[in-house]
Amino acid sequence: MFSSACRAPARFVSTNAQSSAAKASSALYPFSKTALIPPPMPGTLTPALQKGKGLMQHLHQNLFTAEKQAMMKQLFSRKSPTQLRVGSIVSVISDQAPTVFNGVLIAIRRRGPDSSIRVRNILNRTGIEMQLFPNSPHLKEIKVVRPPPKGGMKRAKLFYLRDSPEKMSMLAGGGKK
Amino acid sequence: MLALRAPCSRRPLNLLQLRKVHASVADSAPAVVPAQSSSSDATLPEKKAPKWTANSIRTGLIARKRGMTAIWNDQGVRVPVTILQLENCQVTANIKSVKRDKSMYHAVQVAASDRSPKSTTRQMLGHFRKAKVPPKRIVKEFPVTADAHVPVGTTLSAIHFVPGQFVDVVANSIGKGFQGGMKRWGFHGLAASHGVSISHRSSGSTGQHQDPGRVFPGKKMAGHMGNKRITTQNLPVVRVDTSLNLIFVKGTVPGVDDAHVLVSDAKKKMIALSNHNQAKGLYEKVLPKGVDDLPFPAGTAELAASLPAVIEAPSYRRSPFLPLE
Repeated sequence: MFSSACRAPARFVSTNAQSSAAKASSALYPFSKTALIPPPMPGTLTPALQKGKGLMQHLHQNLFTAEKQAMMKQLFSRKSPTQLRVGSIVSVISDQAPTVFNGVLIAIRRRGPDSSIRVRNILNRTGIEMQLFPNSPHLKEIKVVRPPPKGGMKRAKLFYLRDSPEKMSMLAGGGKK
Repeated sequence: MLALRAPCSRRPLNLLQLRKVHASVADSAPAVVPAQSSSSDATLPEKKAPKWTANSIRTGLIARKRGMTAIWNDQGVRVPVTILQLENCQVTANIKSVKRDKSMYHAVQVAASDRSPKSTTRQMLGHFRKAKVPPKRIVKEFPVTADAHVPVGTTLSAIHFVPGQFVDVVANSIGKGFQGGMKRWGFHGLAASHGVSISHRSSGSTGQHQDPGRVFPGKKMAGHMGNKRITTQNLPVVRVDTSLNLIFVKGTVPGVDDAHVLVSDAKKKMIALSNHNQAKGLYEKVLPKGVDDLPFPAGTAELAASLPAVIEAPSYRRSPFLPLE
């Protein structure tokens, strides 16, 4: 049924240094010599999950690599004391250009592994917004340079800052009183 | 001759149209047309396991659309994926029937999603009992070639699809209810001002004048939109997880979450290309890049137990993060 010629040498196609756990292995999987075999997903499997009950929630909690899971929990869990809050000034360090991006955190989008943040800054008189995905293998770290003003912001999404540069500079310059 | 059930006295019996269902053995020899009764020998002598050929068409699966998320591939590129889960997808029949032009029609009937026998009709209960599977919610058939029949009762698994291949996904689109021309057909409506009275979103004229003096049938108008069968073609399979029977396909799939979807090998990028390239002699292009073989006749739960739990397709293009020279 399957091709019995599995003795072809395994080819390592991973260009990314981080995917050390996933190796091409034709002996394990005869249908594709270059397929990657990542480690199985963590988390306990229940019969309810086989039927699909709570499946998306299970994936939202477990579709991470081991290194990323702790980072995502610390940044996005609502119970975490170090969770990201809108209105804070953050600095995002990544592998790809721009390697360092500072700015005001204006939006947090919680979608499990697809969670993202929007960071806004003004560079060379141009407003720049970046939507950054912490689960991306390129993103190294998110540092909170300054927490939001005392009492927090009155909005979950600070899109009004796009139209009022004076409020932006108040956040950036003034900080918490 | 084929006489599977007592002929109904109210209907004229057309023996040619009786479909042979519930074949007790998968007939994998393509040249043999089983004209005998269904008492064919189930314990055939040692037969070589059928192998995928470039002209075979495999069965599809019935899955449930569970939702969408994103994964990052080995190059660090974000891939939006739809998660499809198999819910005890089993083969309930192998269909072989003679078409009007005397050629054979082969199909594999697949059923998914167990349901309580209390809510299943007696007719369907009998059908499932004959196939020795629990009663199911959805029963669909997939046309296949003669060599691709699967034994009745086989539990199919997500391992049926190879990461890197393409699939077609068929489902009922989300119902939008009664919708106007602008949403349903993309009409432009009328101007927002400049004297337009009340009809800003209307369709406008529906025809000419006295000649033809009528509205042509099929004229695009307001009406019911959505909740009809839609096929999304050529979706790449990026990951397969057999511990939970999940198929991750890149892109979007019609239907609501938890809807039943029919997943099969892509007609354009798999079946047509493999036939074409095989005929031309381009044997390296018969399957998509990275795919060496396909589980044949189907990826079963036993096969999944012998293979790794999670398999992912690498990206076969140059990394978009590297600068162009």
